[in-house]
Amino acid sequence: MFGKRRQKKQDRSQNQSSGQAKTQLTFEQLMEKCRASKDFVSFTKSDKHPFTISYYKSMVNPELVHKDLIPYLTSCSSLSLKELSQEIPVENIEHTSDVQTIMDSVLTGSVIVQSRPGKKDCLLIPAATAEKRQISVPETEFSVVGPKEAFIETLEVNINMVRKRLPIPELHVKEVTVGKLSKTRVVILYIDGIVNMENVNTLKQRISDIEYDHILDSTYILQMISDDQYSPFPQLINTERPDRVAAVLSEGKVAVLVDGSPSALTGPTTLVEFFSAFEDYFLSWHIASVFRMIRLFGVLFSVLSTPLYVAVLTFHYEMIPTDLLGTLIASRSGIPFPPIVEAIILELSIELLREAGARLPSKVGQTIGIVGGIVIGTAAVQAGLTSNVLLIIVALAALASFTTPVYQMSNTIRLIRFPFLIFAQFWGMLGVAICSAFILGHMLRLTSLGRPYLAPLFPLRITDLKDALFRLPFNRQSLRPMQMRPADPVRFNSQRGKQKNDIEE
Amino acid sequence: MNLQPKENRLVSPYFAFYLIHTMQVGVGVLGFQRYIAKSAGHDAWMAVITGGILIHLLVWMSYRMLKNSDGDLVAVHEDIAGKAIGGVLSTLFTVYSGFLALTVLRTYIEVIQVWMFPHINTWGISLILLGVVYYFVSGGFRIVTAIGFFSFILGTPLIFLKYFAVKDSHIYNILPLFDHSVTDYFVATKTMTLNYLGFEMLLLYYPFIKHPEKSEKWSQWGVFFSILLYLITAVESFAYYSQGQLKHTIWATLTLWKIVELPFVERFEYIGISIWLFVVLPNICIAVWCVTRGFKRVYSIKQKHTLIPVLILIFAGTLFFKDRQEIDLLNSLVSKAGYYIIFFYIPLLFVLHWLVLKVRRKQNA
Repeated sequence: MFGKRRQKKQDRSQNQSSGQAKTQLTFEQLMEKCRASKDFVSFTKSDKHPFTISYYKSMVNPELVHKDLIPYLTSCSSLSLKELSQEIPVENIEHTSDVQTIMDSVLTGSVIVQSRPGKKDCLLIPAATAEKRQISVPETEFSVVGPKEAFIETLEVNINMVRKRLPIPELHVKEVTVGKLSKTRVVILYIDGIVNMENVNTLKQRISDIEYDHILDSTYILQMISDDQYSPFPQLINTERPDRVAAVLSEGKVAVLVDGSPSALTGPTTLVEFFSAFEDYFLSWHIASVFRMIRLFGVLFSVLSTPLYVAVLTFHYEMIPTDLLGTLIASRSGIPFPPIVEAIILELSIELLREAGARLPSKVGQTIGIVGGIVIGTAAVQAGLTSNVLLIIVALAALASFTTPVYQMSNTIRLIRFPFLIFAQFWGMLGVAICSAFILGHMLRLTSLGRPYLAPLFPLRITDLKDALFRLPFNRQSLRPMQMRPADPVRFNSQRGKQKNDIEE
Repeated sequence: MNLQPKENRLVSPYFAFYLIHTMQVGVGVLGFQRYIAKSAGHDAWMAVITGGILIHLLVWMSYRMLKNSDGDLVAVHEDIAGKAIGGVLSTLFTVYSGFLALTVLRTYIEVIQVWMFPHINTWGISLILLGVVYYFVSGGFRIVTAIGFFSFILGTPLIFLKYFAVKDSHIYNILPLFDHSVTDYFVATKTMTLNYLGFEMLLLYYPFIKHPEKSEKWSQWGVFFSILLYLITAVESFAYYSQGQLKHTIWATLTLWKIVELPFVERFEYIGISIWLFVVLPNICIAVWCVTRGFKRVYSIKQKHTLIPVLILIFAGTLFFKDRQEIDLLNSLVSKAGYYIIFFYIPLLFVLHWLVLKVRRKQNA
C-alpha cells in the first residue's frame, strides 16, 4: 500500500519536472512572450551605441532608468557589456545568458541590456520600484502604551523593523519561494543559538512543501502549515507588531514573514499565549496579571454564559434562587420562544452586527454598532421577543470575546459557542460538560509545530507558568520558556538579578 | 511484540499520582458511606484508613513485581505460567478492566437518571459518553493521562462544598470510638477496599511511565490523597447524618451537595454531577485503554482495531443492566472480582514471581 503511494508521489514529481522542462525557452521566445504585454518596452537609444534595453515599465523605477542608466549607455566608450557594467552606478549587476535567470529577474523589476539585438548574453540591472505604504499604527493589536509601529506589505521594510530591534548577526533570515503563480517570497526568522533548530527545520520543511498557486498573505501559510488543518483553533500566532516578533524571537521562537502581508506568524505557540496581549509587558506585572486573568475569565464567560442560560432555563430551573427567580420570571413572561430559540436569535443577530460592522467603512460601522446594539436590542425587548436578561448576557458575552488580543482566536471563541448551545439544549448542564470534554480532548490532541498546545498546563511545566496565566516580574523571567526547548534557555543571570543589598548599602 | 513503547508516548513519573488517584475516585465517592456504615456504623471511618494502608501495601507489592519483570502484568504472567496460560490469565484481567469501565459508566448514567433527567434513555447518554471516551482513548495514553490530570484539577475543588454541611454537623456523632467488634471493622475494611479499586490498572500502564521506578513515590502519594479524600467525606457524612438516616441515603455525598446555597445558585448537585463527568471520565478512559493495551500485548491486535468493538460491548452492557437492583448486582460482582484480584491474586503473583525469579537466578548461576 505504502509502496504504491510512494510510486504515485514519484510520478507526480516527474510530471512536475517535465512541466518545468517545458518552460526552458530560448531568449527570443522569452522576448516574444514579454512583448505580448503592453507594459513591456524594448528599444535602442542611439545608433552609435546599439545597446538594446528591455524592461517592464510597471515594475521598474523610471527615475533610475532615466538618470542612472540611459546616460551611461549613450556615453559609454566601448561596446562591451563588461565595461558597461563597471560604469553604471548600480550594485548587483548580473551578466548572464541563462534564460531562466533573465525571466525571473525581468519579472521582478530588472532591466535587460544587450550589446546588440541578436546576442544571447545580457546585463541584468536591478531597478525595481519599491512602492510602499507608510508605516502605520497597529489596528487589531493596538496598545495604549509602547511602540506604535505595525508591519506593512513590503517584506524588506518588515525585516528592517525586526532587525532594528535585534541588531545581532545571529538573527538569521532564510528565504523560500512558494506559490506556482504568485512566487511569493517567504522568510523564516530566528535567532541562531537560542532557537531549537528542530522547530526551524519543521517550519522550513512545511513551508517548502506547500503546493498552491497563489499565496497572498501570511494567513494562507498559517492555515497550510498548521499541525491540524481541520481544527478551528489557530495553531500559530498571527501578529502585526514588530516588537512582539522581536520579543518572541528572543524567547527562542521562529517567525515567518510573507512578502505582501502586513502580519507575521510566530510559533510554536500555546493556548495561553493567545490570551496575552503584548501590552502586558509594558504594564507593571500586577496589573498585567490581573488583566490576563480578566481576559481568561472573559473567554470562559463568553463561551459558557449563553449555554448555561439555556441549560438552566430549559432543564434546571430549580437551581435559580428564589430572589432571582422573580426577576427572571418578570423578564421572560410573555416571551413566545423557548430559551434556545431566543438565545440563537440573539447570538445570530450579534454576529450579524459584527459582520456588518467589519465589512463597512469604519465611520458607517460605528453607526451600525450603535443602531444595532441600542435600537434593535431595546426594540426586541420591548416587542417581547427576547428577555432583557438574555440580552444582557449575550451582549456581555460578545464584549468578552473581543478582549482576546489575537483576532483569529476571538473568532474561534465565538464559533465554539454554538456547539455548546446545542449540547446545552440536548442535555442541559451535562451537555455543557460533555461539550467541554470534547473541546478539552481536542485541545489536548492539538500541537503547534509538534509542541503540545495546552502547555504549560498539560504537560505541567511549573517554570513556564511564570508567564502564562499571569505574568511575574521581569527579574523572575530569567529562563526562556521550556516549551520551545531553546538551545540556550538562560535569559540572564538570575543570581545577579536576585541580589539584595542590606538596608544601609 | 514491542514491549517498550516509544519515548514520545511516555508520561513523566509524577503523573502516576494523577493516574492512581483519579482511578480510585469515581462514582464510589458519591455513595460509599452507606455500605461501610452497614457493619461498623459510626466507626466505619477507621475502615477507610485501614483499607487505605492495605492498598499502600499492595501498591508496594505491585512495584516490586513490575520492577523485577521489567514490563507489565503480561510479562509477569509469562514469567510465571508461560505464554499460553499466562495469556489466558492476562485476558481475564483485561476482561475485568472492561467490566470496571462498564460499572463506572453504568453507575454514572444511573446517577444522571436519578438526579438529573429521570426519563432520559440509557442508550442515548451512553452513546454520547462513549463517544467522548473514544475521542480520548484514540488519542493515546498521554491524552488519557491528561484527562486524569484535569479530572484532579476540576474535581478536587468540590471537596470545599463540604463546608456548607459543616455548619449543620455534629462531630459527636462519630463518638464513642471503638464501639464495634473487630469483625465489624474487618467487614467494613473489606467493603472499603472496593472503593480503592482501580489502582491495579498500574499493572498494565506501568511501562508507559518514564523512569517507572521513580514513580512509586508518586503512586503512594496518590493512594494517600485518595485516603484523605475518602476520610474527609466519610467523617463529614457521619457527622452530618444520623446512622438511621444514612441507612436510607443511597447517594450520601450527592445529598450533601443539595444543601449548598449560594446567592446566585441553589441545588448545587446539578453542577456537581456535571463536573463529576470529568471525575468518571478518566476511570472509563484508563480502563478502556487498558483493555485495548492488554489485547495488544497478548494477541498483537492493533489498539485502534480493538477500541471500537470494546466500546460497542460496553455500550451493549449499559443497556443490559436496567434498574437499581441489576446495577447493584453489577457493582457487587465487579467489586467481588476486584477484591479477589487485589487481595489474593496480586499477593499470590508477587510470591510466585519472586520464587520463579529466585529459582531461575539459581539455575543461571
